[in-house]
Amino acid sequence: MLEITEVSFSYPGQAPALNKVSLTIAAGDFIGLAGRNGSGKTTLTRLMVGLAKPSAGQVILDGKPTRECGPKVMARSIGYVFQNPDRQIFRDTVATEVAYGPEQMEWGEAERRQAVAEALAMTGLTEVAEAYPRGLPRSVRQRIAIASALALRPRLLILDEPTSGQDAVEKNQLMQLLGTLNRQGIGVILVTHDMELLLEHTRRTVVLHRGQKVYDGPTGALFADPARDVTVWGLRVPDAAAIAAKITSLNEPVQSMAELADRLKESLEEKTDEEPGAPL
Amino acid sequence: MKSLAPLCNLLLMIMVSIWTVLLWDPALLALLLALELGLLAVAGQLGKLAKALFGLFMVAMFFAAIQLPFDVAVATAVASGLKMMVMTVAVLLMLATTRLPSLTAALVRQVRIPYEYAFMFTSALRFMPDFIAESHAVREAQVCRGYVHSKNPLKRIVAYAASVEPMVLRAITRSDTMAMSLELRGFGSVNRTFSQQIAFQTRDYLMVGFLALVTAAVIVCR
Repeated sequence: MLEITEVSFSYPGQAPALNKVSLTIAAGDFIGLAGRNGSGKTTLTRLMVGLAKPSAGQVILDGKPTRECGPKVMARSIGYVFQNPDRQIFRDTVATEVAYGPEQMEWGEAERRQAVAEALAMTGLTEVAEAYPRGLPRSVRQRIAIASALALRPRLLILDEPTSGQDAVEKNQLMQLLGTLNRQGIGVILVTHDMELLLEHTRRTVVLHRGQKVYDGPTGALFADPARDVTVWGLRVPDAAAIAAKITSLNEPVQSMAELADRLKESLEEKTDEEPGAPL
Repeated sequence: MKSLAPLCNLLLMIMVSIWTVLLWDPALLALLLALELGLLAVAGQLGKLAKALFGLFMVAMFFAAIQLPFDVAVATAVASGLKMMVMTVAVLLMLATTRLPSLTAALVRQVRIPYEYAFMFTSALRFMPDFIAESHAVREAQVCRGYVHSKNPLKRIVAYAASVEPMVLRAITRSDTMAMSLELRGFGSVNRTFSQQIAFQTRDYLMVGFLALVTAAVIVCR
């Protein structure tokens, strides 16, 4: 769906923020984008949605270069959710806020209403459609930002640190929402510093370091190889992966603490079946 | 200019503004503007401010152009556009070459302005770059939802609400947070002290003398 080929980008008077980065994103992918601050994550996502133009290389959407496409055109295919939802919320009700994008696209009344209703339903906001958005909790405001992007029916959703400022329950709910959207066929790119979320929810991870792509592969494998020191890229090995790496009987990488617990339980049960009465 | 005392920089800004009010000759105003741009270049700020200066130039030209249909002479219209630009560049020059804590200290200790007012003034200046960055971020967020500049001025004014409202609401939230933070750090103490070096040196006295001479010359010429 989206192909990034040998893309480079520099901010005026600064070292290159991105240096020959190539990436292919298929429809329905769930990708994590990780790396330390200043590694080029946000720059890469800005290039994807047309907020910036690469100084070299190409961003190709559905086989067509996007150099001449502005963010308005790109918004129909790629939704962008900023870290802080308050930067975009300005209307009196949730429904009218979500309707802003379809209005800008000059869709007809019926299509607009349908798009808003669908976006609200997908994000579980139908019940608060008439509420004043700024009076709602941060996690709900983040959902409003997601619904606003979904109202334009994109096929790919990019979220920049969407879980910042949220508690564990809210984070979990948001990730469940993203999982549901992904199962409905919407691709997700999650920019995050939260390694637990990355491991548990994304299938593939791209790591940027000093403007270069240093890893692109399965998320589990990123942390499973003890020879790979991810801390030099500003990442931390999630606890589940760190524990799993020390247990040689677990051959496959684990994705979460819950999975680790289940597999340890299975492993112990197998062991006690083989040697009844042996100490655990 | 970075080596001048903060009060001297402030005086320079005020004097340039006075000259600008008194002068109506486009050639002299253009010369003044060129001098300011030269000083910005010496201070190493011209490149950083190039985009803003270009925007300012466009606004000044627009300001001059809208006067022409009302029977204003071309020279007068150009002069008023230049006046606006010279005054704004004078403020930019002062901000680019003066550290705000030093300016606050100078206003309080040398001009004898109450600290609260001096702080309010310099805080407003300090927030300008933040406000510009914030407006840029808000605009980008709306652009990603399909916002475009309409060519129709009325539509454009309505569309500005999408950028202005989030910006104002965030500015209020921010000022609340800052007020709390300041109170928690002892804002309003009676016997506050300043660590900044703001005393006048020989070069500052020379600059003040020069400013006084030019001002007198401008008044006499008028």
